[in-house]
Amino acid sequence: MDQHIKKVYVPMTETAFYILMCLRKANHGYGVVQMVEKMTDGKIRLAPGTMYGSLSKMEKDKVIKFVREEDKRKIYEITELGNEILQLELQRIERLYRIAQEEI
Amino acid sequence: METKKQFKFFTIFEHEKEQDYLREMNKNGWKFVKVSGFGTYHFEKCTPEDVVYQLDYNKEGLEHKEEYIQMFSDCGWEHLQEYAGYSYFRKPAAEMNGEEEIFCDEASRFQMMERVMKGRILPLFIIFTCVLLPQLIMNIFSFHNYLVSAFIGGIVALYVIVFAICAKKYFEYKDRLNK
Repeated sequence: MDQHIKKVYVPMTETAFYILMCLRKANHGYGVVQMVEKMTDGKIRLAPGTMYGSLSKMEKDKVIKFVREEDKRKIYEITELGNEILQLELQRIERLYRIAQEEI
Repeated sequence: METKKQFKFFTIFEHEKEQDYLREMNKNGWKFVKVSGFGTYHFEKCTPEDVVYQLDYNKEGLEHKEEYIQMFSDCGWEHLQEYAGYSYFRKPAAEMNGEEEIFCDEASRFQMMERVMKGRILPLFIIFTCVLLPQLIMNIFSFHNYLVSAFIGGIVALYVIVFAICAKKYFEYKDRLNK
């Protein structure tokens, strides 16, 4: 795997994490915003400037890919590389959680 | 309808000040209509309301304008205009759950600042190093044309001041983001 991409995304921002999680199924940016709002009981509302910037950056980094356009909304989907990155990040978070549990 | 114009100058990395200014005007019953020329802000009278104004700087967004604006309007932000590469958006505070901005993390705020740097400072810097500096050096050391040298020197000094101010603003902004 691309070491540079790994460095940039592990650990990743919460925004990037939610984008990768949600794009395991193809969706557009606003769809991700709505999903995250529902998943977190309205606690996290992703903002459009952040979403737009993150999606285009993540597309360039090839962790997500453009699928098609629908009603002026770009639909994206996670790539294989994105999935690998997401798994690494999940392992990292799991490790942190486990350590915290053992310490308490 | 009663309208008014105000002249305001905001330097680079002062878009937050500009946002606060527009919000304050709206609170005082002056709704932002447009900005034109060298910083002439046009307003029209309205009932005082708390409306949040936000600026983004995103060239890629402007190249895919429809899709870019759609993302914002889906999230309830009204697109107003473009000015010097900046896109202006607003959303009434009453439609928000708590404070809302167009950026929700520091990473993306910092990325916008980097886009501003790239879009606005880099072109100046290229002119400076590729045109002005060589001209100055040639005029002093090859042509011995001191009048022209003094003139170009003046411009060079001005540029250096502008870069210094930008660098200062950049670090101030970065500091604020890290808090």
